[in-house]
Amino acid sequence: MSVAVKSWEALGTSVHVLTTDPDQLAAAETAVRGILQDVDVACSRFRHDSDLSRLNATGNRVVEVSPLLASAIGTALRAARITNGAVDPTVGPALARAGYDDDFSRIAADGGPITLRGGHVPGWQAIRFDHPSRSVLLPAGVELDLGSTGKALAADLSASAALTTIAAGGVLVSLGGDLATAGTPPEGGWRVLIAEDNRVVPDSEGQVICLHDGSVATSSTTIRRWTRGGAVLHHIIDPVTGLPTTGPWRTATVVAGTCVDANIAATAAIVLGEAAIEWLHARRLPAKLVGKDGTIHHLGRWPAPEGITA
Amino acid sequence: MKALTPIERDRGLQRLRRLTFGAAAGALMAVLGISYVAAASYAGKATSTLTSTASTGSQSSTSSDLQSSAQAPSTGSSGTGTVTSGGS
Repeated sequence: MSVAVKSWEALGTSVHVLTTDPDQLAAAETAVRGILQDVDVACSRFRHDSDLSRLNATGNRVVEVSPLLASAIGTALRAARITNGAVDPTVGPALARAGYDDDFSRIAADGGPITLRGGHVPGWQAIRFDHPSRSVLLPAGVELDLGSTGKALAADLSASAALTTIAAGGVLVSLGGDLATAGTPPEGGWRVLIAEDNRVVPDSEGQVICLHDGSVATSSTTIRRWTRGGAVLHHIIDPVTGLPTTGPWRTATVVAGTCVDANIAATAAIVLGEAAIEWLHARRLPAKLVGKDGTIHHLGRWPAPEGITA
Repeated sequence: MKALTPIERDRGLQRLRRLTFGAAAGALMAVLGISYVAAASYAGKATSTLTSTASTGSQSSTSSDLQSSAQAPSTGSSGTGTVTSGGS
């Protein structure tokens, strides 16, 4: 299989754009860069001039937000509703209290002890949102963090925009290891190495799956970690405790129809813990769960690793 | 008091009917006129109820369950990957 690849950094993570037709790569790249710029302006919680930062500063007042931010908020609230609150966009302040209060590249890997204050996060039900009028009301003290679903939405929008731009063939967009595809895949499908760290080069050892349509996303507690007073912390917050999750899974990878849905399921699996197995089975989503002890569970239509009969 | 003749009584009733009809018509015209002036001078404001759920919008923000891919992924039987899915 021969595909063209362009890589760069955006939204605080890695970006890879692949096209089946090398002549279409430049056009696809231009389309993706445009979408990512728009998403950064609308949804970044680390830009003081972003639409999201302005919304978070309003406090208990109805405001009309941009169409893109409204779409991202709608997506985040849908994620919360579908997962019964396991993926909650109000975990931002809890994440900041745990030490993740800036772009991750500026977070100190090691630091002095901090006092972790747990307790329920405000909860997505506190947000008042009317999509048609793009009106949002955040009660005082409630802030939105669209980091998880926002990145996946950006991947879906990017793949769609790139496909519209290119003349023919297929495109794959990876944002920090969350992949969205559009158009006709290469013969045999998009070859995806499944790893715990998206920075692992794709020709490394490990399971390779072929994606014929849809998307794949991975959530992991082994990445985006930091240490405070000797305690290892990570970026996936359990909305019930307001603290980094402590469940049995360190990594979850899910294949779904869209990158948003794959991301929702992968993040929810980490938060739900043992209950994730039944939850994923019920939704018939192919998934791979890696336990803290390295135990691997393949769920649904997840392909058996090479040499193993399913 | 002198009793009215039938002719005088009929004339009185006719006069009363004309007065009643005129008053009703005048009142109706007044209501319509005031309504028009009120509607023309105050444009009003559309309102909507803010809810805690995404009520409408794109398919991806309203669908009630997670969408599966049309085709299951398959095993990459030989060769390496061209892109990595992993945590970030």
